[in-house]
Amino acid sequence: MRALVIDDSRAMRRIVGSILEGFGYETRPAGHGREALDVLEEGWVPDLACIDWNMPVMDGLQFVSAVRANPAWRQVTLMMVTTESEHGQIVRALAAGAHEYVIKPFTADAIGDKLALLGLLPHGVPA
Amino acid sequence: MTAATALSPTGFDWVCQLVRRESAIVLAPGKEYLVEARLLPVARSLGLSGVAELVDRVRARPDAALSRRIVEALTTNETSWFRDGDPFTALTSTVLPALQAARRPGEALRIWSAACSSGQEAYTVAMLLADALPNASGRVQITATDLSRDMVARTRAGRFSQLEVNRGLPASMLVRHFCRVGTEWEVAPQLRAMVTASELNLAAPLPRLGPFDVVYLRNVLIYFDPATKRDVLQRVRRLMRPDGWLFLGAAETTLGVDDTWERVACGRGSAYRPTRGA
Amino acid sequence: MSAPIATLLDDETVNAVAAEVWSALVGEDEVLVPGDGPVADGRSAWVGVEGPWSGLVVLTCSASATDDLTRAVLQLAPAEELADEDVDDVLRELANILGGNVKSLLPGPSTLGLPQTGTPPQPGTDVRPVGATWRGHPLTITVQGATEAPVHHPTTEVTP
Repeated sequence: MRALVIDDSRAMRRIVGSILEGFGYETRPAGHGREALDVLEEGWVPDLACIDWNMPVMDGLQFVSAVRANPAWRQVTLMMVTTESEHGQIVRALAAGAHEYVIKPFTADAIGDKLALLGLLPHGVPA
Repeated sequence: MTAATALSPTGFDWVCQLVRRESAIVLAPGKEYLVEARLLPVARSLGLSGVAELVDRVRARPDAALSRRIVEALTTNETSWFRDGDPFTALTSTVLPALQAARRPGEALRIWSAACSSGQEAYTVAMLLADALPNASGRVQITATDLSRDMVARTRAGRFSQLEVNRGLPASMLVRHFCRVGTEWEVAPQLRAMVTASELNLAAPLPRLGPFDVVYLRNVLIYFDPATKRDVLQRVRRLMRPDGWLFLGAAETTLGVDDTWERVACGRGSAYRPTRGA
Repeated sequence: MSAPIATLLDDETVNAVAAEVWSALVGEDEVLVPGDGPVADGRSAWVGVEGPWSGLVVLTCSASATDDLTRAVLQLAPAEELADEDVDDVLRELANILGGNVKSLLPGPSTLGLPQTGTPPQPGTDVRPVGATWRGHPLTITVQGATEAPVHHPTTEVTP
């Protein structure tokens, strides 16, 4: 299983990346939406993308819309991981095509629970 | 904290063994402060001077209910919403169609969350049925009970922290069924109206409740000795409809404890149903 | 122009938000004890909020705490070296998360800027400073209204 971790904070990329690696994922980091699209365009299409909202160059919502506009990337599950926590913001992200939403701050267990919901826990890894 | 009330090394070891046995969670050496911090409210709620006295009391006189509170205080930070998702997916995929076929249209469906903790299980059921049944709020009655007065009050309030709603609650359900109130998220009034919460000790004679179509009794039996397990299961069965469904925790079973149940495949997991004539 | 911040947020709410951030990011058993004096030689990170209420959410930690804080958030082993940029990055992300959660409690709709580090703009009169202590080190979370000179939010440098 592959996951793309998109966040402008190096610390957050590291935290989310190591949680996912703990669940058996191979991960790649990207510092903003444009950089993440470059990774997809180069052919590295992940099962999961964890996406921050507020980032320079291209924000998370623009990235979600771009991925959903390309049928070749339909297999990518899009999970927002962001401090944006108003009811209306979550609605906006889901309407743009995000599949799931984790509010920062979160624990490793919260990521595990969401992966279990999405059927994206590699087999044999305890939730 | 004075020396007289500090938890002794043997007391700490006893707590570690209890938690490990009941939850498979290992408390590392050096976590004495965590045990103190989490158990002090439990000790105070019983009018005890401190954690040492609490531990001495349970060691001297084993008490399943109190042991459970100790383990919960040390292990459950946030309960997941779709914790071990199978009993919930089975509710809508298997149990609900069976009940709809067997009941008159509009007949009440009664569901019991028998160790409701802060209410996630009861509201998970409420959300699933609200989404699956057009007239759920008029038809579904969910009884949520817990030993702890605090937990009953939390269930009744239906308010959850950000960290709690992050735990396994699908985002689509969060936005559909909750609204923000300050730093917390509150369950919609029509779901809260489906849930009645009250204090109840499963190890004592039960009040008149039900009869229930579905009972969630998960991660409770593990705390009781075999004789009490059997008593609890028999008391629960008397409050169920003959064609009702019982869901236990993933590590629990009626097999070898009380033979008046049959285990049936249900969704991807299993459920228990009263045997005919029992 | 919205109501002053003091009428929109109380200390207890800011402390509750900070406590959740600390327990999730710094460590499950990390306790933030509310209340303490201001931080003398602090290092700051902040994030802007723009909407009916506009201003900044500033996190200031005493210099003695920032290394430990960064190590705790990144779960670094004692032997692992700590880059200065990691310290700034962790402070920025903490400010970002605090800011996003504070924003959700204010009248909306509002937008959140990108976090930055350095010397934060001086607060005006519309300010709510909330003090706390972590592992004995003082820190403050200051929610301050935009001062008359509009606060400029340059784009934070991207550090791949």
